Amino acid sequence: MASTSKSASAAAGSSSSSAAASSSSSSAAAAASSSSTVASSSSSATAAASSSAVASSSSSKVIVLMSMEGERFEVEDYVARESKIISNMMEDDCANNDIPVPNVMASILSKIIEWCKKHAEIKEDNNHSNEEKEKELRSWDKEFVDLDTDTLYYLVVAANYLDINGLLDLLCQKVADMIKGKNPEQIREIFNIKNDFTPEEEEAIRKENSWAFESA
Amino acid sequence: MGQSASTSSIPSSLNRRDNSNPNPSRRMKNRSTDEISVVPIEDSRICSYQSSDEDGEDAAAAAVADLDLDAVDDCPDLISDLPDECLAHVFQFLGAGDRKRCSLVCRRWLQVDGQSRHRLSLDARSDILISIPSIFDRFDSISKLALKCDRRSVSIGDEALVLISLRCKNLARFKIRGCREIAEVGMAELARNCRNLKKLSCGSCSFGARGINAFLDHAAALEELSVKRLRGLTDGAAMEPIGPGAAASTLKTICLKELYNGQCFESLILGAKSLKTLKLFRCSGDWDRVLESISVDQVAGLREVHLERLQVSDCGLAAISSCLDLEILHLVKTPECTNAGLTSIAERCKLLRKLHIDGWKTNRIGDEGLAAIARRCPNLQELVLIGVNPTSHSIGLLTSNCRNLERLALCNSETIGDAEISCIATKCLALRKLCIKGCPVSDQGMEALAGGCPNLVKVKVKKCRGVTSEGAEWLRSNRGSLAVNLDIIAAMEPQEAGASDGEAQEIGGEQQYPSLIKQRTAAADVPSSSSSSSSRRCRSAFSKAKIGLLARRNFVASTIKRWSQSNSNPQ
Repeated sequence: MASTSKSASAAAGSSSSSAAASSSSSSAAAAASSSSTVASSSSSATAAASSSAVASSSSSKVIVLMSMEGERFEVEDYVARESKIISNMMEDDCANNDIPVPNVMASILSKIIEWCKKHAEIKEDNNHSNEEKEKELRSWDKEFVDLDTDTLYYLVVAANYLDINGLLDLLCQKVADMIKGKNPEQIREIFNIKNDFTPEEEEAIRKENSWAFESA
Repeated sequence: MGQSASTSSIPSSLNRRDNSNPNPSRRMKNRSTDEISVVPIEDSRICSYQSSDEDGEDAAAAAVADLDLDAVDDCPDLISDLPDECLAHVFQFLGAGDRKRCSLVCRRWLQVDGQSRHRLSLDARSDILISIPSIFDRFDSISKLALKCDRRSVSIGDEALVLISLRCKNLARFKIRGCREIAEVGMAELARNCRNLKKLSCGSCSFGARGINAFLDHAAALEELSVKRLRGLTDGAAMEPIGPGAAASTLKTICLKELYNGQCFESLILGAKSLKTLKLFRCSGDWDRVLESISVDQVAGLREVHLERLQVSDCGLAAISSCLDLEILHLVKTPECTNAGLTSIAERCKLLRKLHIDGWKTNRIGDEGLAAIARRCPNLQELVLIGVNPTSHSIGLLTSNCRNLERLALCNSETIGDAEISCIATKCLALRKLCIKGCPVSDQGMEALAGGCPNLVKVKVKKCRGVTSEGAEWLRSNRGSLAVNLDIIAAMEPQEAGASDGEAQEIGGEQQYPSLIKQRTAAADVPSSSSSSSSRRCRSAFSKAKIGLLARRNFVASTIKRWSQSNSNPQ
């Protein structure tokens, strides 16, 4: 599921929307598109192209996030609030200019925004019962998190940095699911980890482990 | 940290085909040491393709085809890049068994697991003593610890407990089971060293009143105390009362189970000024008197009371009724609590939210008491009736008056039939969860249910002979979003089928006992007034010993029966 064409644009440093739009990630086609479309209906057409801070006259405020490569992502404030870091900045009134997210790639940032958008929108939805909404989110999340492990890791780091609890839990649960029920050697194989224990050390740890019950 | 970054440049690693990796993209990753996700993998591959000749793509394809599955030294794993806190977060979603296996993966995982582990359950046999220092070096942030020793082994003693308490200064919750070698010195040190201890639960220990007192004298932060089957309690003249000690103002929850000398704990209960929750299960002693002695301060704070298999009567219930803010009441197998007692609760405890009554089929509590609850306790949210026989009179009142009634369970009742279900269906508008077990309900009742209770989310019907798969189907097809859990009993099956139902087992196995009570109380059928209550108390003092004996015997009998049935019955 790697989006090769996307990275070409990232390497070149441009923020052309075409490269992003042709990204091949399955469900993310809409969200992977860059600046202009993420903010959707509320912001006026010109806002997308402008490089100045966006405090438009539209009803909901738009926050601008800047990925590592300098690509700008416009996000509605109620979506951006899913990130505790950003929501704190908004409260402290520090969110008026572009917010740099220097250690998160554009492809990852757009996926994050996609998640935040879905969850924020469902939260605002008054037309469905809580049970229906939960059900919808659960199945959507399940699809969302069906990713290659590399993307998964990048997302974990980014979600941790941006302090987006629901997303972080979802991602970590997914990684945990990869670990469940496996023995140490199998786990090492999945993640390509080197065993740096001596046999004696391993034995000592096993012995110590035997004192602990499996149901804590 | 785990693997170190590969310093080989991209093009050369691309050409190095014998150095392979199931995932070729990793090999080509160019990493700087300080940033975590600097350049996407695909990126560098494209760069290197662009810098090499047009066979670049072929080279990559060939590399993939050339897979050699030996692990590679200088091909780092991506998961090592995850910050420790993220790895710890992943571990949070793993159980203790999986975490054990993770600790054996590599040094970094061992360390992260050890430092992020907050809950630990140890096999507390005496041999563990030498391993204690290293165990608690490794697990250095434990806040919830359980030490369990099986009956056949010698448990840890005071020395080990002191060692542990010195190393777990931040312990918040502590559980000990079967640690018979622990005495008062250990318990005192535990309290002294673990200043943040909020909850202690001990079962099958032997340190008696002395041990509890030694602990409580220093446990200044304790909020919850649970004691089960404590040995070493003296009685008679040598009885040492247990007092709340340093926890007098912090203790909020007291739970006592299967104590053969419950009297020792009276002063503990009465001394806990901030008591909110009191749970008493199968403890000997005259609990009416204790409940009547509850002070004015305590009465104001008490919110939750559980009384199970105790010597308690309407007098005790009258005492509890002074707790005007009482929210939760469980009366389980207390045959001397009657309609009169329940009525006294109803009249004063208007905030009652949850009520559980196991009447043990003695019919001491029925329509009259429940009608009083219906009239006076409008906040009722949850009602569980086991072995109680209400008719549509009280059911009707409950369902129409208790507008917040969301959860209802009716088990082993002879009087809950289709008419009663129909009544519930039409009147119980707030109902979300319904459970019916062992009642003479039939498919008609299911039909009635399908047409009512607009907010119903879950229905459970078990051991109701009259309900067949037709009834279940009707319910499912008419109420699409309803979660229906039905088990259909074939006509030939005996009443006590199903090992999973402890409830039915117990009642089935102990039918002897309730009838004994019936005989006794039939003879003593006098209206409850203060004069007769004392004579009743005298009688009950005599039967107290009997109850204790019978209770334990029947408890064992029914437990054995349950175990043997669960062995033979695959269900």
